[in-house]
Amino acid sequence: MDEKRNELKKIIMDTKTLPTLPGVISKLNSLSDNDKSSVQEMARIVSSDQVLSARILRLANSPSYGFYRVSTISNAMILLGVNVVKSLALSSSIFEIMEKNSVGLWEHSLGVGVASNLIATKLGLPECEEIATAGLLHDIGKVIISLKCSEAEREVRRVIGEKRVHMREAEQEVIDTDHAEVGGWLAKSWFLPDKLSEPINCHHNVAASGNHRIKTAVVHIADALIKASGFGDSGDGYVPQIQQAAWDTLKLDEQIIADLVEELEDKLVEVKNFSLELQQGVDNAATY
Amino acid sequence: MQKIPLMAAKVGMVLARDVFRTESANGIPICGKDTELTDSLIARLENLNIQSVYVEGHPVWSEGDRTLEETLRDLDTRFEKVRQDPLMAKVYDIYAEYLKRSMGESGGRKAE
Repeated sequence: MDEKRNELKKIIMDTKTLPTLPGVISKLNSLSDNDKSSVQEMARIVSSDQVLSARILRLANSPSYGFYRVSTISNAMILLGVNVVKSLALSSSIFEIMEKNSVGLWEHSLGVGVASNLIATKLGLPECEEIATAGLLHDIGKVIISLKCSEAEREVRRVIGEKRVHMREAEQEVIDTDHAEVGGWLAKSWFLPDKLSEPINCHHNVAASGNHRIKTAVVHIADALIKASGFGDSGDGYVPQIQQAAWDTLKLDEQIIADLVEELEDKLVEVKNFSLELQQGVDNAATY
Repeated sequence: MQKIPLMAAKVGMVLARDVFRTESANGIPICGKDTELTDSLIARLENLNIQSVYVEGHPVWSEGDRTLEETLRDLDTRFEKVRQDPLMAKVYDIYAEYLKRSMGESGGRKAE
């Protein structure tokens, strides 16, 4: 019964079958993340690709990162960190697909990025930008399933509608895996650091996370709050159960959640605005 | 009071809160509460890259905007699979309370 899962995993791990990524990606992956000259070289490589640079800067200026005025790739690397910029570069083509084909999922992803940043900031956690990025990327597996298994995706949607279940339950039934695991495979195939791939892989199963449980718990809670809010469309309309492991890991209480809800609902107006502006950009581009 | 994207602002709307250049509310406001919006003022706010403003009443109804009752029914539907769990029941109550507060007397549309 693991046949479908293994077949899908093979597709994911063969990066040549994935959405076309800019040629700079392999160059980026060959550079060390820590060496100063490598960081400068990375900025130069990315900046030389104008389309990629524009995509990264647009994402870097998204509400997920708290409205930085980021105008260059070098600035983005300083403000957001190398891991975030590399992650945005690697995932930019997937977000392009989301914006065009799955606006609801794109809005959901933006919302979870914002909520993740808000939770991390409120709890005083380090690496807020990485946590926001993990939130932004958490559902990339859904895009891949849609692209690579379109028949299975239709079946998943039929099961959701018929049985009124959460998406991952339908996915488990149809493809023997789920979007979180698929997203985790993708993150690993891109050599994203564990601090990003683990929250993606485990955002529906916090207890399975290892070294990055705090980040995973944040993304898990953020996802639930955005679903509760009704912002965007992640594929099913149901709020997931907040897992005890996440609640305990972050030492949450009702007052913290109430404060977060208040601040988050306020922020979501900005997110909607950002999404509308991008849609206008897409519509304009389509007329050329 | 309603928070709206600036691109949805129209002449005649009245600001319900001061507008500041940055997210933080210290410093001198660009534009004060109770100011009535004009074309030139909206253009100036756009030039300053203001993303959103608070206006009096609830003048902007996007497609699919709901009454409080409809919104609470939608909330029920979203929570239907987890409402029986004590923790999720509390989260539901937090959202319901927020919606009643923000869509209540001054912010929400009355059911017909």
